[in-house]
Amino acid sequence: MGTGRNRQQCYRVSLDHRRSLTSGTFELHFARPAGFEFRPGQKITLFGDTAARDYTLVGAPEDRTLSICVRHVPGGRLSPALARAEAGDRFQISAPFGFFLYQSAGRRAVFAATGTGIAPFVAFVRSGVRGFCLLHGVRTQRQLYYRDILSQSAEQYSPCIPGSGAHDGRPPDAYSGRVTGFLENCLSRGTYDFYLCGRREMVRDATRIIDRRFPDSRVFTETFF
Amino acid sequence: MKVYTGTGDQGRTSLFSGERVAKNDVRIAAYGAVDELNAAVGAMVAALPEDRAADVVNAQLVRIQSDLFHVGAWLATVPGSPAADQLAPFSEAAPQWLEDKIDAMEDHLEPLNAFILPGGHPSAAWAHVARTVCRRAERHVVGLAEEKALGFEGAQQMLVYLNRLSDYFFVAARYCNHLAGCKETLWHG
Repeated sequence: MGTGRNRQQCYRVSLDHRRSLTSGTFELHFARPAGFEFRPGQKITLFGDTAARDYTLVGAPEDRTLSICVRHVPGGRLSPALARAEAGDRFQISAPFGFFLYQSAGRRAVFAATGTGIAPFVAFVRSGVRGFCLLHGVRTQRQLYYRDILSQSAEQYSPCIPGSGAHDGRPPDAYSGRVTGFLENCLSRGTYDFYLCGRREMVRDATRIIDRRFPDSRVFTETFF
Repeated sequence: MKVYTGTGDQGRTSLFSGERVAKNDVRIAAYGAVDELNAAVGAMVAALPEDRAADVVNAQLVRIQSDLFHVGAWLATVPGSPAADQLAPFSEAAPQWLEDKIDAMEDHLEPLNAFILPGGHPSAAWAHVARTVCRRAERHVVGLAEEKALGFEGAQQMLVYLNRLSDYFFVAARYCNHLAGCKETLWHG
């Protein structure tokens, strides 16, 4: 299949720069190696000295650099080293792989993410996808990275913040509850293309709601952790 | 990443092209049988005798397993959907490739003029399992074609491929017994 992983092929890349998104989340931009082509929504494996992790590319295919969004997990096996990485540091990455691709031209699309599961939707938007409904489940408002670019491109953008996460303030357009609560209580019945990316529990519970409330919809999923 | 998602706990699953269907949908039955066939082929690989000629069969089976993933992917995709654009065309050359391998193995075998009982060397026994599961997969794909037109370029080749693949496993079973020195048991009625 055309977008499958070519496990034989790897690329050596050097870090171009790091961009902070929040205190615990950042983007890494790598110099783009010759011949590296990908489709929005695809992932790479980043090989570190002690671990390898999959990351979705968050840039557009025509960007000068390859970018990924990293959540710093204190005590983690790879992200602390990535948080310390400096321009010029070299890494090995896989060829792009994965099938979580936008395929809803002319259909109503609903994107639902938790945490850094927002990454493929950023890639979609940076590649020109518009007019979707986006639900982003986070614990606090500070985790709504990419809010500006996403809200400008979405027909409806609804941060989903449970009540206990409102201590740093709640944007006026936020839904008070989980992504699944929004799907259950706020999204009009109908037929959609759902794209679910994030925590396993969200993907599982959202799929059950979709089966019940939105028959004949299509569901594409990417589970992060 | 954990292998279980729980999204199928209510008896429904997603096709590669995104549609949610019941797990007893004809399309699921079809690619499920292909998946089962692939597992049987894996068992056959594991049971092959240690022999240079068997290494050739081993390489053929590994290619067949890869081809079966393509078959499964096509069966899991609604024709005309955007997801279909992500799939490589189903090879028109695959049936001919099988025929070449069948002919090469048959050159080493005695002509057959009676039914044989499935069995013999473990690799041959697994080849018979693969042969029969392949026939079941073929029946499901025919049912799918009748109920929901397969409708993709190469669909006819897929049916030819499954038909020929079953023949391949029949001959491969005989060939494995030949390599292992196992006498075939004829059916005497």
